[in-house]
Amino acid sequence: MKKRTGAVLLAVSLTVGTVTVPATSVAAEGDHKVAMLLDSSISDGGWGASCYQAMVDAAEEMGWETAYTDNVKTSDFATVMTDYADLEYDLIFAPGNEYTDAVVQVSEEYPDTYFCLLNGAIETDNVISVMPDAQQIGYLAGALAGLMTQTNNVGFIGGMEIDTTKTKLECYEAAVKKVNPDVNVSSAYAGSYDDAAKGKEIASSMVSTYDVDVMFGDASAVDTGAREALADTENKFSIGQPGDLGSAEDEVIICSVVTDNAALVKECMEAVEAGEYGNRTIFGNLEDGCLQVGTFSDKLVSKEIQDKYMELVEQIQAGTFIEE
Amino acid sequence: MKKNDFAKLLVPILSVLAAFIIGGIIIVCLGKNPLEAYGFLFKGALGTSSKFAQTLEVACPLIFTGLAAAFAYKCGVFNLGGEGQFIMGSIMSIVVSTQLGITGVPAIIISVLAGTVVGGLWGAIPGILKITRGLNEMIVSIMLNYVATLFMGCVFTNFLRDGSVPQTPAVPKESQIPNLSDGFRVHYGIVLGIILALVLYYFLFYTSRGFKLRAVGLNATAARFNGFAVNKIILMSFICSGAIAGMGGSIELHGKQFRLMQGYGAGFGFDGVAIALIAQLNPIATVVVAFFFGILRKGASTLQAGMKIPTSVVDIIQALVIVFAVAGTALVRLPQVKQFFRVHFTGSRKGAEN
Amino acid sequence: MDAIMNVNFFVQLFLSTIRMATPILLVALAELYSERAGLVNIGLDGIMSIGALIGFLAGYISGNPFLGIVAGALAGIAVNMIYAFCTITLCAEQIVYGMAINIFAPALASFIYRAYFSDTSTVVQGVSMKPIAIPLLSQIPIIGPLFFNHPLLVYIAYLLVPVTAVFLNKTKAGLNFKAVGEYPKAAETLGVNVIRQKYMASTICGALAGIGGAYLTICYTSTYSEGIVAGRGFIALSAVIFGRWMPGGVLLACLLFGFCDAIQIRLQLLSPGTPYQLLQMIPYLCTLIALVVFGIKKSGPKANGKPYFREER
Repeated sequence: MKKRTGAVLLAVSLTVGTVTVPATSVAAEGDHKVAMLLDSSISDGGWGASCYQAMVDAAEEMGWETAYTDNVKTSDFATVMTDYADLEYDLIFAPGNEYTDAVVQVSEEYPDTYFCLLNGAIETDNVISVMPDAQQIGYLAGALAGLMTQTNNVGFIGGMEIDTTKTKLECYEAAVKKVNPDVNVSSAYAGSYDDAAKGKEIASSMVSTYDVDVMFGDASAVDTGAREALADTENKFSIGQPGDLGSAEDEVIICSVVTDNAALVKECMEAVEAGEYGNRTIFGNLEDGCLQVGTFSDKLVSKEIQDKYMELVEQIQAGTFIEE
Repeated sequence: MKKNDFAKLLVPILSVLAAFIIGGIIIVCLGKNPLEAYGFLFKGALGTSSKFAQTLEVACPLIFTGLAAAFAYKCGVFNLGGEGQFIMGSIMSIVVSTQLGITGVPAIIISVLAGTVVGGLWGAIPGILKITRGLNEMIVSIMLNYVATLFMGCVFTNFLRDGSVPQTPAVPKESQIPNLSDGFRVHYGIVLGIILALVLYYFLFYTSRGFKLRAVGLNATAARFNGFAVNKIILMSFICSGAIAGMGGSIELHGKQFRLMQGYGAGFGFDGVAIALIAQLNPIATVVVAFFFGILRKGASTLQAGMKIPTSVVDIIQALVIVFAVAGTALVRLPQVKQFFRVHFTGSRKGAEN
Repeated sequence: MDAIMNVNFFVQLFLSTIRMATPILLVALAELYSERAGLVNIGLDGIMSIGALIGFLAGYISGNPFLGIVAGALAGIAVNMIYAFCTITLCAEQIVYGMAINIFAPALASFIYRAYFSDTSTVVQGVSMKPIAIPLLSQIPIIGPLFFNHPLLVYIAYLLVPVTAVFLNKTKAGLNFKAVGEYPKAAETLGVNVIRQKYMASTICGALAGIGGAYLTICYTSTYSEGIVAGRGFIALSAVIFGRWMPGGVLLACLLFGFCDAIQIRLQLLSPGTPYQLLQMIPYLCTLIALVVFGIKKSGPKANGKPYFREER
């Protein structure tokens, strides 16, 4: 039986496996290489997927070689970074502040390797932090949710109670209330980024308990599940992120808040090529185009609301939407 | 006796080879050179002294959870709760190291002891429930793993949050376990692990208490007829097993990871069980197998990075090692196979040994 | 809290209970068959994950959810045969093979997914099984939507409970089957082929656990993500022991767990201030407390977990 499983395995890998990876020879001289590590999977349909896509897109534009390691255990963060540093990768992309300790440790040991820390707060000679503006993301989603809700109840699902998720929730709530003070916001944490079934349950319980009709989430595959629950009932909408997930005919996703991490990663690559890396933080917001409003579903969102929303977006960009 | 030892050694080696060969075939199918791949694996794990040091550090928590599992199984109870005990020990340790205001060596000693005690207490729960209520220890300990992991989540997001980030503050520099030397950066925890293995070996095989414990593991009913306090021995083995795992957690915390965050400790418990079973519950062999797992895990990441193959391939190889190693030992223990060896190989085996 | 005080809240609560209990029930029944034949299989999580992936893939390629379920079952059987061969024929330690499956199968699933979809980062939408409303019965208020408007697989899962009960207790084949888990030596002398029965148990176990996994990606949601199984196999394992190795008991245990999980999610919504991890502990703590209160002195099948050597040593 073992043989049979082995055979199946071989067949599968023979037919499609070779597509997976380009040939391995050491990179041609002068070529730059970028690697990323990820504690989740690159195909989680959310955070991991968008970060991986960002790296690949940026690398394609810049002509860099890419590599990744996903599903890395917490205890192995530093090990994986060390491996890439040893293999003389120019830039190591660490997408999240949970990698901070490991980046600090490895960047000290390898001063010639550059690190790009997403959502981080470290600035040294070889570390650049990159910060998409979580506040604006929350405002963007909240303003739209406030405009769209008919039941005056909106929802939010978080994966884990991490810093950026909390900020997004706070700003989402603030923006909703700013647009329509009568709206209630319910929120829940799934405690996971990959349990799609749980997302479906949370969404359907929000709908049945609080009559929620617009939802926003920050929990990757869990959001995918939540959207399926919303699709089962009429007039329930979801706001996508971080990719542009909807389309003009979408039945559930009214619009997406798009984070263009690729532009941020690209900026880091340019810094490496220019030889002036380090000691700064790159912010990503509406102003510099790293945050964008995605595709509206024309089916679900009337022209009127779209126009009204774009006005609010301008206010958010200008910083006049909610004064701090 | 000697012949037996030879088989005991040969089987794991052959099974590792078999796993590597299948892994190699998969790598070939991906269009890569398996020899180059395994070159990366061993270079990555043992290539330089600093890599060797890292491998030892990876192996360190596995030694503890492996010993914890082996100790319980020797007494015939399945402690699958190594992960929970590891985590609870770490939680207690981080509280002691960051909240009590003590630093330096005393802090290390006190917090490792505290972690050991809490690990033991957490391990006692399935033991007590087994003895008093007859509950299956596997289920109770698995449930307690979930509870411990969620409790840890609560600790690093609420009770002991370090500013805005969901993680606990780090163990202060002066309370971290020092390295053996600056050139060879392994923390002293590994030494403690090896000493512990020797102590457990001595305890199990050369003391009367150890003998009783093994007797209960072999046949509890017979042990009871012989007047052993079976329940007391079972409870003790749970507590010790939990304490070993808890100590491992404290040491991992003070030697390598320094703070609790999402994903801390995940998988160590189950890896420990696999290691203990491959090592056939022998404490010294457990250290060796844990070290081998350390090589696999450290080397795997180098192999993955160097060859750009999916991480899952390495996981598959690791699982195959377990499959073949345990199947191999079971195979030579089968009555038919034993008979076969006795008839056909006794002569030639002697020749091989000379 | 007027939200709690309406009927719809309760209907939805019980609906979620049923939905959440279904995959656990399928897998718990899988384990029940396995343990009744003396095989403790803790590799359920692994079998589920391969079932979830292969079921998803087959459904995605063929566009037919039923084909997906069948493929999930076959994949579950194939993986469980590693376990079966090593533990039945080689008489190796059962716990360790369960563990090995738990490492091997999810890795294999992730590898196949990666190989098939390459390094894609978009979410692939598969097929989903539509609910079948049973005529007339589904019209009854409250009861109707609760019990008579589910995908086919849900009905099958719940029907399997009485079927299993009758099989194990009323048929000769079932009694033989149970004898293998209790007194294999005696069963052998009475002419039962112990080894064959054990392989049969493993086949059923693999199939049901594979279906349980496929339920997640075909009925529950229609996407696949690594880690979608999320420890449900271990919950099923405890449901078997909690249910005292009886189909009815297993059903109750699964429903209890599903109910705790459903209520846990609602409590999160009702009390946003409480750390969510504490609420997520509820299902596990409830199971533990229930176990303690209804303590089981009676253990399972007598030869459970023990290898069976056909010839005396």
